[in-house]
Amino acid sequence: MSTTSTTQTLSPSTSHEEPRSGTWDGGNEPFKASYGKLMMWFFLLSDAFTFAAFLTTYGLVRHRHLAYTGDHKDFVFSSAYWPIPDKVFNSFPGLHGMDLPLAFVALMTMILIFSSVTMVLAVEAGHRMDKADVQKWLLWTLLFGATFVSCQAWEWSHFIHGTDHGLKMLDGTTFFGANLHANEYGPVLFADLFFFITGFHGTHVFSGLCLLAYCFIATTNGTFEKRGHYEMVEKVGLYWHFVDLVWVFVFTFFYLV
Amino acid sequence: MAHHAPDQTQQLGEIPKPNTGWIWKTFFVLVGITALEFVFVFVMEPSTLRNSIFIILTIFKAFFIVAEFMHLKHETKGLIWTILVPMALLIWLLVALITEGSYIGEAVYNIFK
Repeated sequence: MSTTSTTQTLSPSTSHEEPRSGTWDGGNEPFKASYGKLMMWFFLLSDAFTFAAFLTTYGLVRHRHLAYTGDHKDFVFSSAYWPIPDKVFNSFPGLHGMDLPLAFVALMTMILIFSSVTMVLAVEAGHRMDKADVQKWLLWTLLFGATFVSCQAWEWSHFIHGTDHGLKMLDGTTFFGANLHANEYGPVLFADLFFFITGFHGTHVFSGLCLLAYCFIATTNGTFEKRGHYEMVEKVGLYWHFVDLVWVFVFTFFYLV
Repeated sequence: MAHHAPDQTQQLGEIPKPNTGWIWKTFFVLVGITALEFVFVFVMEPSTLRNSIFIILTIFKAFFIVAEFMHLKHETKGLIWTILVPMALLIWLLVALITEGSYIGEAVYNIFK
């Protein structure tokens, strides 16, 4: 008994009564954000690099190809130059054969922005510890997110199956739609970049939906209420807004410019 | 509803009123900018000026999403710069590689002339 007490007094750590709290000793929160939220920010930063790399690649490849220089209304698909996006993305489900440039992608953008709004409302309800409201807004976010992914599935399906006229190939055959080796819209890399960029974004939306479903189940079970805070909803919210943010850039650089 | 730990700060069943005005304001700003982008798609011919307008409006939208929805505006200065400075480096990547793309294109098309 006495031996142990002697070793304790000799140990240098017990000579200080207060815990160490200097700048580099831990327990210091320079950003005043919790560990989880900070790590979510850093993850999103790295994810932003990935998407920026994709969009920069799109810029490089697009400038490596010729631009269409003729009149906008005389535009026809050709692998000789880069296509004009509003000539490629001009169809709407249920309105076959009509020329509606960018209408469907506008609807998709609205749906995603709206899902971002319902997500902030869920986070706000979490701050007030309002379980019913968190549940309600998470469900709305799930609904809009799922609608967005379904719209993207339609968009992909239409892009893959192609238009009615297709593209006349050099060997006399007509090619419809797109795959990774050939497409009727323009250079091969146009379709490849479409699949990679929107596909990678769609995968992110899908991951977000899984996280939202987890949050909804945990909220319903009262997990966050017992924990005393809804920080998990906040972290998933950060991720969800990031997905919306990426779409804003994909929308500009893939569909508008 | 099972209350395992009684909350000291607030009475049972008392939930503060939601404060959502700023959320809807941000939403209408985002919708407005998107609508403006569509106006430019149809009233302007494609040009460098039109592309610059799109990019500026996109940065505006990104600002509202990150600052308000992701709450970055209300974080500490250190966190804001930690996120923004690495992103600024990407602008250079974009400029450099787009220039490179134009050069590769020129080289490829001119080699057969």
